[in-house]
Amino acid sequence: MAKRSTIIAAGAAAVLLVIVGAVAALNFSDSDAPGEATHVTVRLWDEPVAAAYEKSFAAFEEDNPDIQVDVEIVPWDDYFEKLRTDVAGDGAPDVFWVDGGSYPAYADAGALLNITTALSADAQAGWSPAVTAQYTRDAALWGVPQLADPGIAVYYNADLLDDAGLTPADVSALTWDPTGETDTLIGVLQKLTKDYNGNTADSAEFDGSNLSQYGYNAGYDLQAMVLNYLASNGAHFQDDTNQYSFASDAGIASFQYLVDLMNKWQVAPSAADTNTNGDFSREQFLQGKMALFQSGVYNLANVSAGANFDWGVVQLPSGPAGAISGVDGIAAAGNAASGHPAQTQRVLEWLGSAAGAEFIGASGAASPAVLAAQPAYAAYWAAEKVDISPFYDVLAAGTAPAPRGAGWPAAENAMRPLLDEVFLGRMPAGHGVRAAQEAANATLSE
Amino acid sequence: MRSRGGLRRRSAITGYALLAPSLFGVVCFLLLPVLVVLWLSFQSWDLIGPITFVGLDNYRSVLSDGVFGNSLLVTLVFVLLVVPIQTLIGLGAATLLTRSLPGSAWFRTIYVLPWICAPLALGVVWKWILAPTDGALNTLLGQRVEWLSDPALALPAVAAVVIWTNVGYVTLFFMAGLLNIPGQILEAARIDGAGAAKMFWHIKLPLLRPTMFFVLVTTVISAFQVFDQVYALTQGGPARSTDVVAARIYYEAFDAFDLGRAAVMAVILLVVLVVITLAQQLYFRRRVTYEMD
Amino acid sequence: MKWTNFSKTAAIYLVLLLGALLTLGPFLLSILTAFKTREQFAQQSALSWPDPFTLENFALLLNGPAQFGRAIVITVLAAILILVGQLICSILAAYAFARVDFPGRQVLFWVYLSTLMIPPVVLVVPLYLMMTEAGLRNSFWSLVLPFAFASPYAIFLLREYFRGIPQELIDAARLDGANTLDVLVEIVVPLSRPIIATLTLITIVSHWNSFMWPLVVTTGTEWRVVTVATASLQSQFNGNWTLVMAATTLALVPLLVLFLMFQRSFVRSITIAGSA
Repeated sequence: MAKRSTIIAAGAAAVLLVIVGAVAALNFSDSDAPGEATHVTVRLWDEPVAAAYEKSFAAFEEDNPDIQVDVEIVPWDDYFEKLRTDVAGDGAPDVFWVDGGSYPAYADAGALLNITTALSADAQAGWSPAVTAQYTRDAALWGVPQLADPGIAVYYNADLLDDAGLTPADVSALTWDPTGETDTLIGVLQKLTKDYNGNTADSAEFDGSNLSQYGYNAGYDLQAMVLNYLASNGAHFQDDTNQYSFASDAGIASFQYLVDLMNKWQVAPSAADTNTNGDFSREQFLQGKMALFQSGVYNLANVSAGANFDWGVVQLPSGPAGAISGVDGIAAAGNAASGHPAQTQRVLEWLGSAAGAEFIGASGAASPAVLAAQPAYAAYWAAEKVDISPFYDVLAAGTAPAPRGAGWPAAENAMRPLLDEVFLGRMPAGHGVRAAQEAANATLSE
Repeated sequence: MRSRGGLRRRSAITGYALLAPSLFGVVCFLLLPVLVVLWLSFQSWDLIGPITFVGLDNYRSVLSDGVFGNSLLVTLVFVLLVVPIQTLIGLGAATLLTRSLPGSAWFRTIYVLPWICAPLALGVVWKWILAPTDGALNTLLGQRVEWLSDPALALPAVAAVVIWTNVGYVTLFFMAGLLNIPGQILEAARIDGAGAAKMFWHIKLPLLRPTMFFVLVTTVISAFQVFDQVYALTQGGPARSTDVVAARIYYEAFDAFDLGRAAVMAVILLVVLVVITLAQQLYFRRRVTYEMD
Repeated sequence: MKWTNFSKTAAIYLVLLLGALLTLGPFLLSILTAFKTREQFAQQSALSWPDPFTLENFALLLNGPAQFGRAIVITVLAAILILVGQLICSILAAYAFARVDFPGRQVLFWVYLSTLMIPPVVLVVPLYLMMTEAGLRNSFWSLVLPFAFASPYAIFLLREYFRGIPQELIDAARLDGANTLDVLVEIVVPLSRPIIATLTLITIVSHWNSFMWPLVVTTGTEWRVVTVATASLQSQFNGNWTLVMAATTLALVPLLVLFLMFQRSFVRSITIAGSA
């Protein structure tokens, strides 16, 4: 009798043992073996830069054989959700990218390495002042500046312009005007938009519900569209106390203009596509189905690799207050709870050095925030015969800052559904934008 | 006397020993979390900062800002869309499948397939089928319908996907219920000259009441907690039109990082579901007169 | 009369066939798409046959950074561990409730039963906090622990079943000197094979499919299960539907195969498990 229960007990124990063994094997495969190099993990969301990092860290590891750097990509859509739970659960990588809206909460919680004190003053020289300022909070710097995105510009598909009888010069100095008086943008976009029967948007037979070619990408894209349209109409996204202030008359007019491009003039993909898929417009542009695509240098590598048509870059349309673009920087933050602070510090120093950042610039992946690496970036695109000056020239007229303050994730969460509805044309812009501002500000007072 | 007492004590020790592992599980992973969520509903926590006591602030904020109200309403509409429709279709399918036509077993097997599959994976499949530009359905229709991005269509579309998933499950129970109706009763009715319609409405349906009750209870409760399909299809959008309670709790906690508010919503959901269950139990006691198999 | 009967039957079959088509359609579309190239997907109708027939999407999933193979292994291991743990703990508890007399039995049983009313969604936030505090977040054990000890639901089903086992059988074994464990292993478990099979199928299905808890408690590819891997692939390769459909195929097909192999006991199990 007892035999059978023993056999069953032994069987169950064996199953458990096998599973525990298998899990241990899964665990072991990526843990540090004694005597080997210390693993330092660097997390980011951008694939072209990750490829440049791989090369950069290969050079770093040659001089630092005691460190092995693992590059980890987490897609943008999940990035900040995952980062928050990882930091909360002591599972965050040693170094991770942050953006201007996300870092304050981490800095305030003591989760980030204070770069001002952790890195030597020498190591901190030569960084883009704009990005350094963006990541300075309470008189300390909370990340090593990595990318300094210059302004936003407009990518054009030269073949589609040609089809419409236009030249790049015809789209390089467009103006938008909410009153319509001096507007030249809409007319051009109508020529560049086609329905499924091939009618352009300025013809009488045009059926805007079924487009085969889009003129432009007027969806909710904070960095590429909203901030610029607000600023070039004299409106502000946030005021000096970081309260949201985009629902001014000028701000509402900016939103209304963008919504009209989609829903009234029908020269841009519907918000139904762009609200839920942030990459929709880029995909359409790369497939040759969109004539003008307003975006930043962060898409330069993607467009260069993916476009099999002639393309170029022109300045973004100027509004009543001029052509003003948002600027943004990205920094690599150090994890304050890292298990190997000394090695992490060396990796951060490398990322902030001219030699380390050179790879980002030289591969054309992104515009480096380390000043000494910026010429390599310009040289790369010059060699590719792409004129990237429109991204930089626009900065002369003043810039619009990226979202600031510790409450940005909650504020965006609160206002996004309302703005989605505005862009879908389900809610009048005035009402919806005001409600969005109210919802965003309500999260600040909590 | 002494030996009886000893036996008793031994049996008590055996009982507790057998119960120990499961009791550990029930206490640690079911009862304790309920206390923790209750406690957390009075705290403020953003995952990385300290946890601080804020009294009723979270309750005030959840009950006043309309976001949770919207979620309750959306969930209610969702339940009212899903439960009646899938019950009707399931009942219809069960009636057809219990006519002992050859091949019925095959159809039954096919219908129940979606129910055993991962709702998340099926949601992703449907996300593609319903995609506006390159989705299978719009390609077949030759017409652009914004199933998931039009706030008026999104909730019905999600409901349709959930109904599609559940119909086979509901059908199984109605089939079992119909097959359990004693043959003599049906025979007697037939002799009395009852037609097919009369037979269904006056004989079968009343006899199906326990099955009906069971199906309604389980499907109402599970529809209240729908998450996977919403996550895959719409993430609560567009414009919060599919922002069901479970999705709201998830996004409040792990997207907006306001764990206190998420805890309040969880507490409210718990209360609502307990009340529904108890109410249904009471109703069950009164109305259902005979035991289910 | 005969003719109306025939047309009636034909109509019934038509309806049933239509239903079957609607049910199977999405599965077939998804599997077909998984074997297509991106070019074919972009150019041809969703209904077209894969040409050329490609395994590239699957190769990319299994060998690429998505680590789908690892996700499958982790999901299987977690499901087995949960199954074994749940069965052992539940059988012990159910036997205690069914056949052992001890003070507080009634009260404890009601406590167990009342936990059936707790919706899993409610537990996610507090369990996340508890796992984080215990340092177990993003580990294999965080996937398993909350479910491996007991399922009040399984205990309830087993207890009902155990109560139907004749007491004389147990008494006879006792006279032969068997202790409680012997009785369980020798008599109760062998007599309860059908209900244990039911619980096995239901547990495997529900943990292969579970999503919200693994989504919350794991990050990155390390301890990711199949459903979470599918969801993250969906958000990463938004619009790359051939690859995404290969992922859903990998998530769906193992259970479909399992279901078709054991379809009779599955169908019975669903009805038994449901009517508890």
